Amino acid sequence: MNTLFAIATGIMFGMGIFQILRRDLIKAAMGFYILFAAVNLLFLSVGAYDGLIAPYVDAAGQTSAQPSDPLVQALILTAIVISFGSYALLLGLIAVTSRRFRTVDSDEVDHLKG
Amino acid sequence: MAGAENPWVLGPIIIPLFGAALCLLLSQNNRLQRIVALIAGLAACLASIVVLLANLEAGSVGVQIYRLGGWATPFGIVLVADKLAALFCVMGSIVVAAGLLYCLQCHDKCLEYPVFMPAFLCMGAGLSGSFYTGDIFTFFVFLELMVMSSVVMVAVADSSLGLEAAIKYVFISGMGSLLLLLGIAALYTTFGTLTMAQIAQAFSTGERPLLAVPAALMFIIAFLIKSAVVPFHFWQPDFHTTAPTPVHGVLSSVVVKVGIYGIIRNTSSYLVQEGDLIRTILIVLGLVGIFFGGLTALRTWNAKRMLAYSTLGQVGFILVAIGWGSQLAIVAAIIYIFNHAFIKSGLLMLTGVIASHNAKHSADLKDLAGSGKGLKFISVLYLVGGLALAGVPPFNGFMSKVALVRSGAGVESWIVLGLVVAGGLLTMIYMTRTWQWIFQQEPPEAEDTGHAPAHAPHKSDSPLAPALLIAACVLLGIFAGPLVTLSEDTAAQIASPEIYACSVLAQMVESGMSLPEGSYDCTGGMEISAAPTALPVLVMEVPGR
Repeated sequence: MNTLFAIATGIMFGMGIFQILRRDLIKAAMGFYILFAAVNLLFLSVGAYDGLIAPYVDAAGQTSAQPSDPLVQALILTAIVISFGSYALLLGLIAVTSRRFRTVDSDEVDHLKG
Repeated sequence: MAGAENPWVLGPIIIPLFGAALCLLLSQNNRLQRIVALIAGLAACLASIVVLLANLEAGSVGVQIYRLGGWATPFGIVLVADKLAALFCVMGSIVVAAGLLYCLQCHDKCLEYPVFMPAFLCMGAGLSGSFYTGDIFTFFVFLELMVMSSVVMVAVADSSLGLEAAIKYVFISGMGSLLLLLGIAALYTTFGTLTMAQIAQAFSTGERPLLAVPAALMFIIAFLIKSAVVPFHFWQPDFHTTAPTPVHGVLSSVVVKVGIYGIIRNTSSYLVQEGDLIRTILIVLGLVGIFFGGLTALRTWNAKRMLAYSTLGQVGFILVAIGWGSQLAIVAAIIYIFNHAFIKSGLLMLTGVIASHNAKHSADLKDLAGSGKGLKFISVLYLVGGLALAGVPPFNGFMSKVALVRSGAGVESWIVLGLVVAGGLLTMIYMTRTWQWIFQQEPPEAEDTGHAPAHAPHKSDSPLAPALLIAACVLLGIFAGPLVTLSEDTAAQIASPEIYACSVLAQMVESGMSLPEGSYDCTGGMEISAAPTALPVLVMEVPGR
């Protein structure tokens, strides 16, 4: 795994976890999406043996002996569709919440106690 | 010893999905939608039973396989229905079909929402799919299908709290999915495959590459979140209580079992060596769950919420059984899982029927007090369900409790066994208390005697579906033999994980691909160890005689 990928994934995980713990539901939803993007990046780095070079060539521009793994890219496509769907559904739910409660502060949307 | 190719394996997944598409086309006609959904549910049920029966045929390996698109194993997605998966899928599709039957005569407003029935069917497809799939990434996809469709149904629920519970669940379940994806990525880097059989094969060599154990542990944590085991339980009572009745019946009884299925798979075929540590943790979590679930169920003043908390406790019993880990304990866990699904879904739907008798559709015990006074039939059903849950003799709950106690005595962990029995008494207390409160009290004086016929033509839900489920509980209690035999077969198959691995990989071996050294030998016609006959479930062996 390329160092750059590792650092980028780490930063995105940090950002995502910080955001998802916020009280504002919209910011938390963004954190949710950033976390899934971080996992997708991790998947990409799992299959990219040659780091930042294009999938089918090596550093000299010749056809690579060990091309990048195409399976993970298919997996990422599926994972992106799923996380995108969840995110859209979540934003829809938050939109209805904001209309019903006139706020998106999770501390004020607390009718479930008891 | 290749597993039999069987296109019926596709049935429980593809039929509900097809039905969902059909329901979307029929969105103008709600009545027809519900009927089509019920037919699809019953057909899926039939297909899952066909698969289970094919597994039980004499001389078969007991594993049915379907390779999607005809791709050979390491390249394509494979659906694998071994005895465990087939049994779980039968359980799931029967309860889903009962839920759809309840929908037919349910008067909740949210059921008229055009995407409700398609979402219900998608949940059923996701449930069967996550049991049958032999590929970890497809498992994730089916799990998400199930989660998202249940979120949609809870968010549109009649109870105004559904929206809040749905948001909460999307976040928490999202964290579970995240861990699952991390685990998948880690396993893929380590072993270069997504097929469960190949991963089991790689684990069986005894080598543990750097990421293998963390990945398997991430899987287990994700499963614990999905099945609401105690430290990760806080979403469950809210999400389940606010769900519409038929959905609640399915969520609380079979959807939580997906995580348990994953845990059984994981401890039996991946982390066989590390099993002891994981099992100890499971026993502790299970015991905490039993008491937490039981005690909170006692202090809850809402009949549906009480049953949701009760699920926490019952999952605790199952975890303790898995934690004991002997073959007999796995038999007990499987019997418990199967019986609990029927009891809990039946009780929940009955609660829904009773709640539909009051105009508010509220399951608050204060509103329900005495509301079942005249309903003799429902009262008897509820009492039978409650006693079955508590484990009183003629009903199926008794079988689960006996098997559990017997297996606990078998591994001689007396302290845990004592705590389990004490926790079982809590079930008795909260079920009888609720039954008395609903059916034995005098109804409160009607306050609106002056203008009584204001909501006179109020329709209540039909008790047909819960009556069938409770009848199944009684039958499973009296004729418990087949289920016990089936569970013994299943546990015997789980105990030798090479059957699962080799039946999927045999085709690959024949075509000349090599397997890692030191793993299961799939080349020869392996002896299928016959199921040990008549495990002494009911016969208590007194030591020293």
